[in-house]
Amino acid sequence: MNAPDRMNSSRAFLLHAFRQAGVLLLAALIPALLAGVFHPRRPAWSRDQAMIPEVAWGTVREWPGLKLLVDARSEEAFQRQHISGAFPLSEARWEERLPAFIKAWQPGARVVVYCDNTGCQASQAVARRLRRELGINDVFVLKGGWGAWLVAQKSLP
Amino acid sequence: MAGSAKIAALITSAGRIVLAAVFLYAGGLKALDPAGFALSIDNYRLLPYPAAAALALYLPWLELGSGLAVLWPRIRTGALAVLLGLGLVFSGVIASAWLRSLDISCGCFGDGAHGRSALAVSLLRSVFLVLLCAWLLGREWELHYADRAGRSQ
Repeated sequence: MNAPDRMNSSRAFLLHAFRQAGVLLLAALIPALLAGVFHPRRPAWSRDQAMIPEVAWGTVREWPGLKLLVDARSEEAFQRQHISGAFPLSEARWEERLPAFIKAWQPGARVVVYCDNTGCQASQAVARRLRRELGINDVFVLKGGWGAWLVAQKSLP
Repeated sequence: MAGSAKIAALITSAGRIVLAAVFLYAGGLKALDPAGFALSIDNYRLLPYPAAAALALYLPWLELGSGLAVLWPRIRTGALAVLLGLGLVFSGVIASAWLRSLDISCGCFGDGAHGRSALAVSLLRSVFLVLLCAWLLGREWELHYADRAGRSQ
């Protein structure tokens, strides 16, 4: 093959690849649109609807009735220190811890999940799974997580 | 010569099967829970939430379609190009989360372990898939070139 032939061959290969990629990119739109309308777990279009609601520690402390705190941080972080009475339930040890959680949870109890701070997402993930897999609707995420709880403890008289 | 060509063909086929299996598995998990995947994308804090929701509906099907198409010779080149593009984007996004020390999970295979070390593992896996895609695309190019050269003789 001479140089012009090689150039033509490269061009044909790229054209071939782009055309096929275009077909795949367009074809994926069809099930995506159908999923957006009919999928039972289709995403909400606003973050407020999609996220588990956050509550401040001050509000949680004042809540009457049953509440169960869930520590979604790593096992090591939980062993080092945790909020008194909190139950360890991280995604990494979900299967192992879940049966004990189910025993600890009482119907009607509000569940408040926390992780390290505002930057962590483990509490949202665990709270979402509790709502989805166990059908617990009264699930909340502690605003600011463990960090906010520590600050609240220091400001106590 | 014939023996080494046979081995190369076998390795190529194995590579295609591995790539297809990974993307079919990843796409399938995400297609089952687009709401969860939207939050995983949102955790990276790179896009407005509605864009994350739209991508969560679209990307799993693109992964599933392209994963299947890798096994179909007629459209394999395009599928490898799409997967290479996806792999590069995923690697860049995971690397940015790792550099920003975000305490999130990759979201590549549904929910998973959180934190920097988990992201590093995901980044390595993503880079491996990019290299595999690039190599397989190179093999397609060789086959295309050989086919053209054969025809021009």
